[in-house]
Amino acid sequence: MTATHVPATHVLDRANTQAADDDRSRAIRALLRRPLLAAGGPGAEAFVLVRRHAAWLRDWFAAETGWRLHVEPEFARLRKRPADLDDATRPARPGRGRPPFSRRRYVLTCLALAALERSEAQTTLGLLAEKVITGAADPALADAGVVFTMERIDERRDLVSVVRLLLDLGVLDRVAGDEQAYVDARGDALYDVNRRVLSVVLTTTRGPSTVAEESFASRLAVLGHDAALDAVGPVAVRRRLARRLLDDPVVYDADLTDDERAYLRTQRPQLARRLAEPSGLVAELRAEGSCLLDPTSEATDAALPEEGTDGHATLLAAEYLAAAGRTVDRDELTAHLAQLAEQHRPYWRKDTREPEGVAAVCRTAVDRLAALRLVDVTADGVTPRPALSRYAADEPTIAGRQESLL
Amino acid sequence: MTDARPTDVFRHVTADQADRYRAIMQAFAAAKSRFVVHLRPEDVHVDIGDAASLDQVTTALDQLTAWGNLRSDPDTARVTTVEDFNRARYLYQLTHAGEAAETALAAFDEALGRRGELQSVALSDIRDQLGELLAEARADQPDDGRVRVGLRSLVAAFDSLASNAQAFMGSLQRTIDLHGVEVEAFLVYKDQLISYVERFIGQLVVASPQIAGLLADLDAADVDALLVRVAQREAADASPDEADPVGMRLAAWRDRWTGLALWFVGDEVHPAQAQLLRRRARQAITALLAVIAELNERRSGRSDRSADFRALARWFAQAPGDDDCHRLWRVAFGLSSARHLTASADLLDARAEAPVAASTPWADAPPVHISPRLRATGHYERRGKPTRITDRSNERRLLAERMEVQRAQTDAARRRLSTSGPVRLSALGHLDRDAFGLFLDLLGEALARPGDPGRPVTATTADGRLAITLTPTADGGTARIPTDDGALLGADHVVDIRLVAPGEPHPAGGAPRAMVGSGGVGP
Repeated sequence: MTATHVPATHVLDRANTQAADDDRSRAIRALLRRPLLAAGGPGAEAFVLVRRHAAWLRDWFAAETGWRLHVEPEFARLRKRPADLDDATRPARPGRGRPPFSRRRYVLTCLALAALERSEAQTTLGLLAEKVITGAADPALADAGVVFTMERIDERRDLVSVVRLLLDLGVLDRVAGDEQAYVDARGDALYDVNRRVLSVVLTTTRGPSTVAEESFASRLAVLGHDAALDAVGPVAVRRRLARRLLDDPVVYDADLTDDERAYLRTQRPQLARRLAEPSGLVAELRAEGSCLLDPTSEATDAALPEEGTDGHATLLAAEYLAAAGRTVDRDELTAHLAQLAEQHRPYWRKDTREPEGVAAVCRTAVDRLAALRLVDVTADGVTPRPALSRYAADEPTIAGRQESLL
Repeated sequence: MTDARPTDVFRHVTADQADRYRAIMQAFAAAKSRFVVHLRPEDVHVDIGDAASLDQVTTALDQLTAWGNLRSDPDTARVTTVEDFNRARYLYQLTHAGEAAETALAAFDEALGRRGELQSVALSDIRDQLGELLAEARADQPDDGRVRVGLRSLVAAFDSLASNAQAFMGSLQRTIDLHGVEVEAFLVYKDQLISYVERFIGQLVVASPQIAGLLADLDAADVDALLVRVAQREAADASPDEADPVGMRLAAWRDRWTGLALWFVGDEVHPAQAQLLRRRARQAITALLAVIAELNERRSGRSDRSADFRALARWFAQAPGDDDCHRLWRVAFGLSSARHLTASADLLDARAEAPVAASTPWADAPPVHISPRLRATGHYERRGKPTRITDRSNERRLLAERMEVQRAQTDAARRRLSTSGPVRLSALGHLDRDAFGLFLDLLGEALARPGDPGRPVTATTADGRLAITLTPTADGGTARIPTDDGALLGADHVVDIRLVAPGEPHPAGGAPRAMVGSGGVGP
């Protein structure tokens, strides 16, 4: 092979482009994981990359998905409006692994945000609680059965978990004090209010107070309506599919509309490539649907397999359901998991030795599998979906086995 | 009527039918200003319009009389009907107390409704008065009368300036607080505010350094002496039974002077009042801009964000179930993370080697390989205590001993082999195994050297500790060296085997060998 002389600048350019591409894909993954990136928060290093490539990222997201990216010196906000309004597996959580928010906590979050809108540059927990109580005097809330007096400790705990969520988002910055002291009613905490972040927390195009619908479904439909997806034609279909592929773990053909299916029939490999290459994800295309895999685990909040009791239980439950191949009702699954808890006694958490612990682990495992779109949860039980076959038990391979030499 | 207390004249303000009483009193006050002193009930009824019937008016008038606001005198005018004659007829007029109460209430209304103005004229008045005072203070014989008049007008101008500024700032804050303010009203107010603030703050910025300078000059020119003179002059008008008239008045004047000074001169700890006024005006402008921004947002169709959040709170409360709450959260806030299945590097490599067609169902594709330890235990690494470090000191000791033994053997072999002076091979005697091995080494080295066959050859072992000089004898004899394993037969030579100490020059010529290793036993 003849060696051609490659000039040094060419090699350097290629290396630079490679580095820039890596930075961009990291930025895309970071924005998918945390649509609101603040300069001082958990995504600080990724935020630097987002700012550096802000123009490119804005154009890419607008072209591929129709999502608007808003980059400021202190934060970056990707207005991640979902294409699928029926997904109930993405609740608000005050931190990783914590339980999802209940209805009361959601109402409290909205009242706290309304109070922060009207507040000064700093506020304390006590003051916020007072304003929330005033706001909670709305007769519509009382009719729906949600009342706040901040007398009981569990109401204070609710407020503290809401404040933790706001701290995580970057709306509040703690200056002094401790939330636990407020829960125990022996102290208070002081926060700075970041009004610019507060102004981008809501992503609706129409303010909810201008919507006069009465039924929940129509309210959701009006809020979720997106003009970028309005146009009839391949561009809108492509954007809808891109939103689903980038946000959801698996996109099954059975869940799509007819025009989306028709589009995918001819354009699936190209669409997958368009999305996978810049973002660093890997496309897996199969007969029943498609998904984008994440080799870096940077763009996802739940993963399979994971370490720990819950992850182990989820994996084994996935294997069992994949082997069963039919709808399994909860009791059967719980019984199987109880057997497994016995078998893996030295490795699992202590509370799985009790039946309630096993039931809790079973619930967590099923929730996680449903969140990853690997199963369907219905009244009859748990139905595996096609992608669950990925986690079927495979033949054990013996490392180092060689053909005998003769 | 004599047992009514002085403050009863104000009871009509908070009684029932207070507005009727107020209307009646205002009718009397208006009549008074027209120099009409007495009013009949019928006249009052006409004056207040249709607010009440004649009987109600009469009752109210009686009540006001009982409280002391009015005085009733019998009415002696001629009447024309019998009913009129039999009815108790009175004429009413304001009492002194009632009139004072009316004046007070009117002043109260006026003060409350007064918006207050920022007067820029007062500033130039103050400056001019201060200039005159300075001239008086520097004069040899200050004119007491002019000083007094000057100080009084200075204080008056200053009072009105301060109270108006306070009223203005107060009304400003109240207006800005209104979030539901209408656009037109707000625009009018905004223009007023901006023009006021421009004029006044501009003047204040120019005037206050001048005034501060004049105050400093006056202090230097002993303004206190002026105050003393004015106090003495005023004390001359005081009543005789007042204790220390000069001292009281002097204290009062000093207070006023300090107040004036504090308004325009301050330091970091206590900033001047003028500074604070400017700061407040600046803040008012900023608040004004915020209100403008909010109105603008409202006009551009984006609703007030606070109202949005409250509407969302209602929607969350009215959602049918928890799942619906999660859906609403995702749609309204869009803060959820993306979710993807993960892929390890091994999986990607396996796929690269054996790609799966896109039309394969998932059930037919090779599943994800899970590490056996993960499947068995739920963790990637082995859990438990780390392996203990084995103690190898025994083995080390054994090895050291063995090495010691070997070295002793080698040294003994060398000593055995070395000859003192040249010796025939046949006279070497029995060699044990180690010595024989060494001897064969030496012999091999020596015989391998190139040279004339009849000449002596010198060589050393590889480690340089033994040297041999080999000279073939000319008589053709045979040497026989018995060893443990047999006997070595060969041509007889004369050998000279010596131990070589480290550092000695190489017997075959060349640099002395450096000592290799350590701990060698000396020759």
